[in-house]
Amino acid sequence: MCACIQHDLETTTLGELRLPARSSELGVAREFAEATAAAFGLDADGRFEFAVAVNEAVTNAIRHGRPDARGQIHLRVQASADSLTFAVRDCGTFTAPLARATASSEHGRGFAVMSTLMDAVQLCVSPGSTTVRLTKSHAGEPAPGAARR
Amino acid sequence: MAFFYLSEDTTALACAGEQVIVLVAGGELDHHASPTLRQQIAGYIEAGKRSLVLDLSAVTFIDSTAIGVLVGAAVRLQEANGGSVAVVCAPANERVLRIFDIAGVGNAITLSSSREDALLAMAPAG
Repeated sequence: MCACIQHDLETTTLGELRLPARSSELGVAREFAEATAAAFGLDADGRFEFAVAVNEAVTNAIRHGRPDARGQIHLRVQASADSLTFAVRDCGTFTAPLARATASSEHGRGFAVMSTLMDAVQLCVSPGSTTVRLTKSHAGEPAPGAARR
Repeated sequence: MAFFYLSEDTTALACAGEQVIVLVAGGELDHHASPTLRQQIAGYIEAGKRSLVLDLSAVTFIDSTAIGVLVGAAVRLQEANGGSVAVVCAPANERVLRIFDIAGVGNAITLSSSREDALLAMAPAG
């Protein structure tokens, strides 16, 4: 069962981005994350944390996942009253790595980085679909003038 | 469009010694930049450099892939000849330092706040 289906009717989609599955597009993913987090009213630290976490999730999708028929990876941003979630989806079927990363490993730090920066990281896998959901709770009120929809 | 650069600090040669290469990086070090970063570092290692000092003070973004490349270089240098990688990052660059802290490089890489400190730490005792 995928636990990532949103049951919360109060959730609003803030933005979507379909990104060519190329590493040269990572800067676009980071800018999208920063801008959307800013629109939600997050401060500079919160925007940076989303940019880093989304960058890691999109990197994993490019490196280990599979793009859709158009060669794209999907990003969707959902907001509720008190949280912001970026969902990064590819059409691969995630399999857990066999070896655990250590301090001297060259690979395998991405999930640790995402988990540290986010309040919740969910991995939803079904055949032909892998989604990483990155969520931060929104502490305090949105910044004055922030475009909350 | 993201960019990054990596250049050699030739002025550091006098105090660094011939076996140490001092590099200065800037811009965004992500998965896209990592193959070039890996290739350039490998070139210096193949040219006989024993240790690497890499100043990341001007880097605006770094991710786990690029940090992995540096860890890989450190492991390779250590195994080949007991060499090492020292990363320099000015304390003001809190974002890069924070990612290093989160990614966890253990003892594989030493972090210094200036090139001088990194070179001093690398110099043989006595």
